[in-house]
Amino acid sequence: MSNRILLVEDDVALGQQVVQTLSQAGFDPHWVQDGDAARGLDPDDYRVIVLDLMLPGTYGMDLLKRYRVKSEVPVLILSARDDTADKIRGLKLGADDYVTKPFFPEELLARIQACLRRPNLVGTERLVAGAIQIDLQRREVSNAEGTLSLTPVEFEILALLARRKGSAVTREALVDAALDPAHDSSRRTLDVHISRLRSKLGEDAIQLETVWGIGYRLSGGA
Amino acid sequence: MKLRARLAVTLGLAAISLLVLLGWGQSRWQSRIRVDALAEAAVHRMESGGRERCEANPERWPRDRDARRRRRPPGPPERTLPRHRVFAYDANLISANPDSPAFPPDLARQLKAGDDVATQRSPKRRRTEIAVRMPWNEGPCAVLLMRSKGPPPWFSAAVLMPAFLVALVVILVALLAAGPMVRRIRQLTDSVRRIGSDSEEPVHVEGNDEIAELGAAFEQSRRTIEAQLASLREREAALRNYIANTTHDVMLPLSVLQGHLASLQQRIEAGDTLDAKAFVPSLEESQYLGSLLHNLNAVARLEAHEGLSHRDPIDLNRLVERVVDRHQPIAKRKQISLDLAVPETTIEFPGDLTLLEQALGNIVQNAIRYNRADGHVAVILEGSANQWALRVVDDGPGIAPADRERVVEPSFRGSEARTRHPHGMGLGLHIASDVADRHGLRLALRDTHGGGLTVELIHAG
Repeated sequence: MSNRILLVEDDVALGQQVVQTLSQAGFDPHWVQDGDAARGLDPDDYRVIVLDLMLPGTYGMDLLKRYRVKSEVPVLILSARDDTADKIRGLKLGADDYVTKPFFPEELLARIQACLRRPNLVGTERLVAGAIQIDLQRREVSNAEGTLSLTPVEFEILALLARRKGSAVTREALVDAALDPAHDSSRRTLDVHISRLRSKLGEDAIQLETVWGIGYRLSGGA
Repeated sequence: MKLRARLAVTLGLAAISLLVLLGWGQSRWQSRIRVDALAEAAVHRMESGGRERCEANPERWPRDRDARRRRRPPGPPERTLPRHRVFAYDANLISANPDSPAFPPDLARQLKAGDDVATQRSPKRRRTEIAVRMPWNEGPCAVLLMRSKGPPPWFSAAVLMPAFLVALVVILVALLAAGPMVRRIRQLTDSVRRIGSDSEEPVHVEGNDEIAELGAAFEQSRRTIEAQLASLREREAALRNYIANTTHDVMLPLSVLQGHLASLQQRIEAGDTLDAKAFVPSLEESQYLGSLLHNLNAVARLEAHEGLSHRDPIDLNRLVERVVDRHQPIAKRKQISLDLAVPETTIEFPGDLTLLEQALGNIVQNAIRYNRADGHVAVILEGSANQWALRVVDDGPGIAPADRERVVEPSFRGSEARTRHPHGMGLGLHIASDVADRHGLRLALRDTHGGGLTVELIHAG
């Protein structure tokens, strides 16, 4: 699928900045400056729509309603007004998220990537994180070196982290999901299991990161 | 037309109408009596010798007036009766006297219908005609026609003049009687005209009637208007104060930002090679400026008690992600690790999206702003919709235990908070505390294990 992103923004300076940011991040931005021009476009031609609410010729909400009639493309609202009613109305009308002005370009990119990530969070029988592959049905883990021999606790820890790849998971969540509360449910025990898991992952252990104040995160892979 | 004149005219017209109606009724009644008296007198006269004289000389009757005057018959005195002329007719309504007029057709129809007495008035010809059937039905004098001259009685000056006189008296009395009422209404008008001016004199009218009630209603309205005006003036003053404070608050970081940018420009002009770190203070200041404006907006809403005008289910997982993404750029530039953890299942909580996001944003911003380079900040959401906790953990300098209670006082005056910590964490944490309080959440501050501050928003369920 193409990386086209529709930007509907009337302010020239902000529009130029956003276009530059999106281009540098590998997206193909299409910038329109007024509602009339945006009205005739097919939303399904884009992966994400970034929509300013205050536009000449129309109101962003009207465009959002129009797009939602025929398309499920993710829509990110740019809001200059710090108005709860506007944000809630936008979300109820089908916007996926919003960014309040002023914002850093990285923030906008992060929210766009979050919009693109969201549909891929559905469960699957096979999880991949870099070289690490997890078969949930057969309860097997393999990497470039071959199939790994993991204990059930180590498998549950790795599977939970892989399901939420890229996100930090708290120690408490890992303890609740993987350890037996009747026996060894302490945080210290969890750290021991993580240590053993890292040694079994070999070179891929670098993907299993410790996150300060939270717990662990499995990163890597597309 | 003035009230007094209108009242007088109304009463005068009413009096005239009433008197004319009474006069008309009375004249009708008198007319009926007069007809009956004439008919009775005619029959009586004919029975008292008139019939014989009439039948003896029907061609000339009743021209023999001298004889009639000489022998006035007993009965009602004729002078009480109106002047009239008499004509005799037989049963077929034909007169033997050639001077007699043709019998009026309307009266003939009434007699044929069985009436013994028939009358008709002719306002146009200004006369009244009465036909009387005699107790006998033969001879040339079986029916008498009496014709009297004069207008119909109800148009007479005797009826109308008293009516006009009475009406005149009524009008004069009304003019005099309306005086006090008109005076009170004028007094009320003057009082009402003073509403809205600088005068605080109450609207008051003496008495216990409708005018006094109207005055009381105006007084109640005056008080309401005065209260609304006072409230508007107060809000206007608060708005002016808010704008003045906001201008002051914004000018400070703006000046700092200008200073940073000017310094950068000077260093470039001097040939210095700048690294990325050189821009961090400017970026941080610009972010602070944006956050400050959001905070001032939040303060304005909280002070106006509009804090919870919107309570919608909020996706807290998404809210945490959004706040962390917002602060990630500045954290990276300050080389501070900022991470988040949210549960797999979304936690929803009813609240004000903007205020909750601002509250969490303030806590995260403080954790970054006061942390050292290579420091850490973690934002953790745990629990379920019924019971959850949102923790912001950092390994920065923390807040002394003695100061913790003060910075999370739930009620505060925005201006006080600003002046106390015009450029520090005071406003941010106060807002967070107030927002938490209005959402039924508990804001707690404690030490982070190993050093630093942990700020928690707790929904105990």
